[in-house]
Amino acid sequence: MIRTYFQKRPHLIYIMPAIIILGALTIIPTIFLYGLSVTNYELGYPTFDFVGLENYIRLFTGKDAEFWYSVGISLGFMLLATVIQLALGFWLAVLLDREFKFKFLVFACMIVPLAMTPSITGQVWKLMMNAEYGVLNYFLQFFGGKVIWLSGENAFWSTLLVDIWQNTPFVALIIYAGMRSLPTDPYEAASIDGAGKLQIFRNITLPLLWPMILLAVIFRAIDSLKMFDIPYSLTQGGPGSSTEFLSLHIYRLGFAGTGWIGRSAAVSVVLLILTTVISMILIRLYRKGVENKG
Amino acid sequence: MNPLGNKKLTVVTAVLLLLVSVGCIFPFIWMFIISLKTGTQTYDPSIWIFSPTFENYKNIFENRHALDYLKNSSIVVLLTTFISIFIGGLAAYGFARFEFKKKENRAFWVLSLRMLPPMASVIPIFVMASLLGILDTHFVLIICYMLFNIPFTIWMMRSFFEEIPVALEEAAFVDGASRFQVFMRIILPLATPGLIATSIFCIINSWNEFVFALFLTSSDASTLPTTVTLFLSVSGVVWGEMSAIGIVTILPVLLFAMIVQKYMIRGLTFGGVK
Repeated sequence: MIRTYFQKRPHLIYIMPAIIILGALTIIPTIFLYGLSVTNYELGYPTFDFVGLENYIRLFTGKDAEFWYSVGISLGFMLLATVIQLALGFWLAVLLDREFKFKFLVFACMIVPLAMTPSITGQVWKLMMNAEYGVLNYFLQFFGGKVIWLSGENAFWSTLLVDIWQNTPFVALIIYAGMRSLPTDPYEAASIDGAGKLQIFRNITLPLLWPMILLAVIFRAIDSLKMFDIPYSLTQGGPGSSTEFLSLHIYRLGFAGTGWIGRSAAVSVVLLILTTVISMILIRLYRKGVENKG
Repeated sequence: MNPLGNKKLTVVTAVLLLLVSVGCIFPFIWMFIISLKTGTQTYDPSIWIFSPTFENYKNIFENRHALDYLKNSSIVVLLTTFISIFIGGLAAYGFARFEFKKKENRAFWVLSLRMLPPMASVIPIFVMASLLGILDTHFVLIICYMLFNIPFTIWMMRSFFEEIPVALEEAAFVDGASRFQVFMRIILPLATPGLIATSIFCIINSWNEFVFALFLTSSDASTLPTTVTLFLSVSGVVWGEMSAIGIVTILPVLLFAMIVQKYMIRGLTFGGVK
């Protein structure tokens, strides 16, 4: 019985181990997370009660104002980071899309931010952004400027700057790879038809690069939405709670000091649903684009 | 031939690219400079020329247990990479060479795991691990890192396997070889560059992982990225040591990244862009 079952489905032997492990590693914790989110479990207390939807009601009736602030800045950060990195990455790809001698060196430099451990990235920028002894203000002073990088008003923008530094090369490399693999025929046809530069860009280049752009958007949007490492080591969510993104809000509720695992599990569920919905929409768009082209 | 036109490197472009390159490596260089300064020099960014000291490196290895962190990172990273490559590689072959129902849906389910926020998985895993008494062990980190390494390996290796012509396998089948023999003797040797590149990306990703390492370990199994917690307090910050341990953390991944430069885009996009 079992033998013939596997003989009819020879792929199972290859993919089953991975599917089982991944399934167990995602489904069990997810169920457990939903379970925790309807309790008032606290770290260090052996007993806990089932509280129904109380944790969620607290979030959605606005009793937890910081939660909505976190949702707001997380979504805002996602939008800003994705759009800016896409624009800068595109520009950088255009700059790179020509032949010159030391290209490999430019690429080698661009890989440094990409590979750098994100938590360490936050740390080194914290040193550089120090108001008194930081090197950024040392450079700025030559132009007569001084910025309190990590103040309440600026911390969000400084975090954005660090994220842009770390991830723009990623977008640039993807779009560059796309530009390099463009076919020549449509361009020849367009130049015979006397199409203008803007027309060529809009009607040929953009549609051909679309899958690459979408791929870059998927990775950047999701990764910036769930970002934790950089703000953790750069600002710790502060000053106050000015850079308390959703991941950091979960961390502060569940681990730092308070230990309200139940409540932070409820926020985690919200984050999980947000990322799932956004990634499903983007992945569906991407699949449509790729599978239509064969 | 580049269809967007033959663009030349103008002076303006060259200067811009130079600025971008310097901007990309400057934080790394700055951290390296600080790590070679003495205590008081670190607080003065105008000092560029000084006689370097290795005091900070000596301190982190003698007083901050840098060697333990390095050892923990290495154990976790090597084991999780090895297991993930084995299990993910098999699955990748399954996805590359067989046709079955809902194949693409399953593949994209695997991809969607990459999108999971680690902050959401870490809470239940933390509670479960503490119930099982496996918090602060290498084991729990190795298991968690499989969560992102196996999906990555499946997608990366699938793209490499699909580049190998099917005709090679069919020839071996005609000679009477079994599917498993073909996989071991023909496919794996041909896919070796891909396997190496994929392993290196697994190593980089696991080495850099922070959320699981931060919450699931406290002392015995802490990895290098968690060393940032040693320097969080604002008062008495030791910039030199902070930078030295940062350099120790990122130097291995930078070296590895330079090795797989050719595959960088492919690795970063799960094999989506070649």
